[in-house]
Amino acid sequence: MEGVEKSFGATRALSGVSLDVAPGDVHALIGENGAGKSTLMKILAGVLTPDAGRMSLFGSPYRPTGPLDARRRGVAMIHQELTLAPHLDVEANLTLGTETTTFGFVRRAGRRAAIRDVLTRLRLADLPFDTPVGTLSTAVRQLLEIARALLSGARVVIMDEPTSSLGRRDVERLFDIVRELAASGCGIIYISHFMDELREVATRFTVLRDGASVGTGTLDAVDDDALIRLMAGGAPTTGTRAPSVRGTPLLVLDGLEGHPRPTEASLVLHRGEILGITGLVGAGRTELLRAVFGLDPVVSGSVTLAGIGFSADEGPDARWDRGMGFVSEDRKHEGLMLDLPLSVNLTLSRLEPVSRAGFVDGKKLDAASREWIDRLGIRAAGSNVAVGSLSGGNQQKVAIARLLHHDVDVLLLDEPTRGIDVRSKAAVWDLLRSLANAGRGILVVGSHLPEMLAHCDRIAVMNRGRLGEARDASTVTAHELLTEAVSVAESRHE
Amino acid sequence: MRLGTILAVLALLLAACGDSKSPSKRVIAVIPKGTTHEFWKSIHAGALKAAAESGVDIAWKGPPKEDDRDEQIKVVEDSVTRRVAAIVLAPLDEAALATPVAEAAKDKIPVVVIDSDLKGDAHASFVATDNEKGGAMAAERLGTLLGGKGRVLMLRYQVGSASTEKRERGFLAGIAKFPGITMVSDNQYAGATAEAAYAAAENLLQRFPELDGIFCPNESATFGMLRALTSVGRNGKVKFVGFDASAKLAEALKTGDIHGLVLQNPFRMGYLGVKTALDVLDGKLVERRIDTGVAMATPDNMTTPDIAELLNPKLPENVR
Amino acid sequence: MSDSNAVRLVRRLGPFLGLALVLVLFTALEPDRFPTAVNFRTVLTQTVIVGLGAVGMTFVVVSGGIDLSVGSSIALSTIVIARLLRDGASPAAAALAGVVAGGVVGVVNGTLITRLRIAPFIVTLGTLQIVRGTAKYLAGEQKIDAPASWLAGLMAKSPDPSWLIVAPGVWALILLAGFLAFVLRRSILGVHTYAIGSNESTAVLCGIKVDRTKVLIYGLSGLMTGLAGLMQFSRLTVGDPTAATGLELNIIAAVVIGGASLSGGVGGIAGSLVGALVMAFLANGCTLVGVPNYAQEILVGAIIVAVVAIDRSKRGT
Repeated sequence: MEGVEKSFGATRALSGVSLDVAPGDVHALIGENGAGKSTLMKILAGVLTPDAGRMSLFGSPYRPTGPLDARRRGVAMIHQELTLAPHLDVEANLTLGTETTTFGFVRRAGRRAAIRDVLTRLRLADLPFDTPVGTLSTAVRQLLEIARALLSGARVVIMDEPTSSLGRRDVERLFDIVRELAASGCGIIYISHFMDELREVATRFTVLRDGASVGTGTLDAVDDDALIRLMAGGAPTTGTRAPSVRGTPLLVLDGLEGHPRPTEASLVLHRGEILGITGLVGAGRTELLRAVFGLDPVVSGSVTLAGIGFSADEGPDARWDRGMGFVSEDRKHEGLMLDLPLSVNLTLSRLEPVSRAGFVDGKKLDAASREWIDRLGIRAAGSNVAVGSLSGGNQQKVAIARLLHHDVDVLLLDEPTRGIDVRSKAAVWDLLRSLANAGRGILVVGSHLPEMLAHCDRIAVMNRGRLGEARDASTVTAHELLTEAVSVAESRHE
Repeated sequence: MRLGTILAVLALLLAACGDSKSPSKRVIAVIPKGTTHEFWKSIHAGALKAAAESGVDIAWKGPPKEDDRDEQIKVVEDSVTRRVAAIVLAPLDEAALATPVAEAAKDKIPVVVIDSDLKGDAHASFVATDNEKGGAMAAERLGTLLGGKGRVLMLRYQVGSASTEKRERGFLAGIAKFPGITMVSDNQYAGATAEAAYAAAENLLQRFPELDGIFCPNESATFGMLRALTSVGRNGKVKFVGFDASAKLAEALKTGDIHGLVLQNPFRMGYLGVKTALDVLDGKLVERRIDTGVAMATPDNMTTPDIAELLNPKLPENVR
Repeated sequence: MSDSNAVRLVRRLGPFLGLALVLVLFTALEPDRFPTAVNFRTVLTQTVIVGLGAVGMTFVVVSGGIDLSVGSSIALSTIVIARLLRDGASPAAAALAGVVAGGVVGVVNGTLITRLRIAPFIVTLGTLQIVRGTAKYLAGEQKIDAPASWLAGLMAKSPDPSWLIVAPGVWALILLAGFLAFVLRRSILGVHTYAIGSNESTAVLCGIKVDRTKVLIYGLSGLMTGLAGLMQFSRLTVGDPTAATGLELNIIAAVVIGGASLSGGVGGIAGSLVGALVMAFLANGCTLVGVPNYAQEILVGAIIVAVVAIDRSKRGT
């Protein structure tokens, strides 16, 4: 691949990426969340078409028309979210989409020998063909994904975070298989955040940052520090803002454990403070906020707000009642009701102030909505428009405005600036700062380190379910945070 | 606008579906309980014959959902707003239909009730089989066939249907005259359709493996029972008396699977229903109760001309 | 894609437009008999039962649920009323008990749906049978004759006193529909109903007590069904365990024709009432014009599909 570019609307996802993989090579693709790895891989697998650049496969030009075409030409992708049909059995899953048929009826016998052969290579020789896939472990399902790729004759296999949900034993089995595949002449692109994993299995690497390839070479020739420097780039290394005045403790988490994540999280959020939580996608950051907000059950540990704990049967309504609000990262499916009016979205958690005797007062509702529309500069034709018709940044403001209307003390925000433009981002951060200055406590989950360093007072890193020590943003560096996020926790070696 | 187009097409369809009747003729609404049973087709034929003789039109309309009282009420109400000259009605329920009939009468539309009786006195006349007599006839036939002793079962038709309840009552009274006969079951209902009757009959036959005689009070129950008997191979072995006629039942009578069918004269009921309505319209005095007669068809007499005509009524072409 | 305000307006007016076209159409075909006071009075009375059911069902459908047990529930109400009257209860007490019986069925539905976490379709498919069976048991598998009472007058086409013009049942429908339309649009319960139907996880996230609200919604809908049962009794004057079989489908059809979305979040009382009127006028008009039953059924079915198809194309999805 050479000089590949891709834009989504005004957002430039890729701006000149080059990558080459030789047969027998396991090539590590490294980069922060949002650096463009997934977009690049989707282009390779034929899901997206590039805007510019050239790709070639075994010397001939490669321009797949779709995923099926890519697969036919020997490029297969093992997705992060597994794509098997849980109710179908092993054999049906492996042949799905490529069934051989006679008069429209699936002819099974012909493929069996080939399937058995592939499964044996993956050390699954004993797996009965008629096992429903839903009953198998994640590790075996992952191997079935690979089996599917091999069955279709793949010569380039892309693996996206294949170990994220595997135990140590399964990881080792997977690595053996990856090495064997490479030995048999496949080219493998391996995406992972974990340095020692990459060193174990890969030979060469490419680093992506902000949609461009910024470094390539042999893994043995560089140390982890150098790689992390490449990933973090020239962004500000520490926070630049003056430390704010920290008030009394507001929200205290003590040994919080959810299922399956977080495994262990403790922190103290003070009044007047913006506390950031960063870490890799899948580390359990969202799950932490959900557990704190009572959306997911707490296994052990406690959540204490202003000195009083929450009992196990108290849900989000108890959180709202006591002045805690939550903005989900998933605006579309969880955060907002897109086909309902802006005003309803904004006031839903607390309709009492805009109601009289159990009935919503249209004038009060409109006035309350307009107040927030004005104060947050939400661009909307009125308080009555469907919230789905607003831009992403304005939708996000509505989601945050809900917390302001409710007048909460503690704001839990999951990726509040994701998918919105630069100016909206700045506006959101300014808003959060003024709220903190007004004595509220703000807990923000975010991935983009420079942004987090610039705006948070303290930052803690989540790594595979464990929340690390919160550190002062004015002294900690992006490099240190990234190192903490990608290091393999001790427990995995046990 | 697409909606407009669709409605225009609907309008054309409706116009095409509508009655192509000459507006000058008087219209008599004939409202059966349903439209699928053979029995109602004979009534329709009789009504049409009377209409042809007298130069009036028949509006034949059953409730869209059979055995739904509310739907039949709607048909009566709509007939009133349609300003028909008179209504001939076979009420699904002796109480529920009383109110709309009274309202029709108040609107000066005479109602002649056929087949099943109706509470109140708003209707001009009741033209029907003497159902109790029919039931008694069936009891007489079954008792004679069994030589006055044995175990007998009666599968009732449906709750709230006055005509069949009378048949059932007449049968029970008649069978009581044979002290050697025991009724093993008389509290099960066949339901509105032959399919429901089939299921109910199967269950009953399962429960009573040793039976000598069976009585069913209408066509669908008789047919359902016949199918159930055939499916377990007990047809012909159990003495079986049914009520009403259809081609299939006549066939079973011939093969000896059914030993007696009480026959009403639905053709006559339809015919006399319309004629009586016309009499009322012409200001003539009519009887409150008009009997249309019953007859017993047996394998022996089924070829005699009178019985054959009742068993296989020749329906004119225009009856669907 | 999301609705613009113009599209919203068309959606809201669509059912009214459809009703107007049905009225114009039959007036053109049957100018002498269709557009008469007597006929309209008849149709309005015929709409009451489906209308009351549809008003309650609108709450359920807007919340993203469905209730298939309403037909059985109506039958149960008629039985409860008839039995109490037969046993000497006062008509008012019997009527109240019939309405409450419907409410109880609704609360049971809501509780099963929220406690057992089973889809409303499945739960109410079950209670459809259970309630019908209960009605038959209470009735001893027979219709129950009840002594005459003023309840029969609720659905009398020529009401007493005559200044009412239409049957008291029609007035009950109009007043309740007006009040509940306001509740659905403007009360906190109503806003929560839309929120749950539009996006249940957001509703949970906003601290709405979703389970309690759902029980309330099904209970309210159940009370409306009970009231429909009272009107059904008034019309039949007997308790009928087989009454209103399949009526739930007519009620759901009315709600859908009225512009509600079965996936929740969209719909309104006025629309559902218009939907009920469209169905009633269609049936009435077809009878007057002399369209046979089978054609009428095909027509109503085609209209349901067409209405939803037009609605989809308007939304551009």
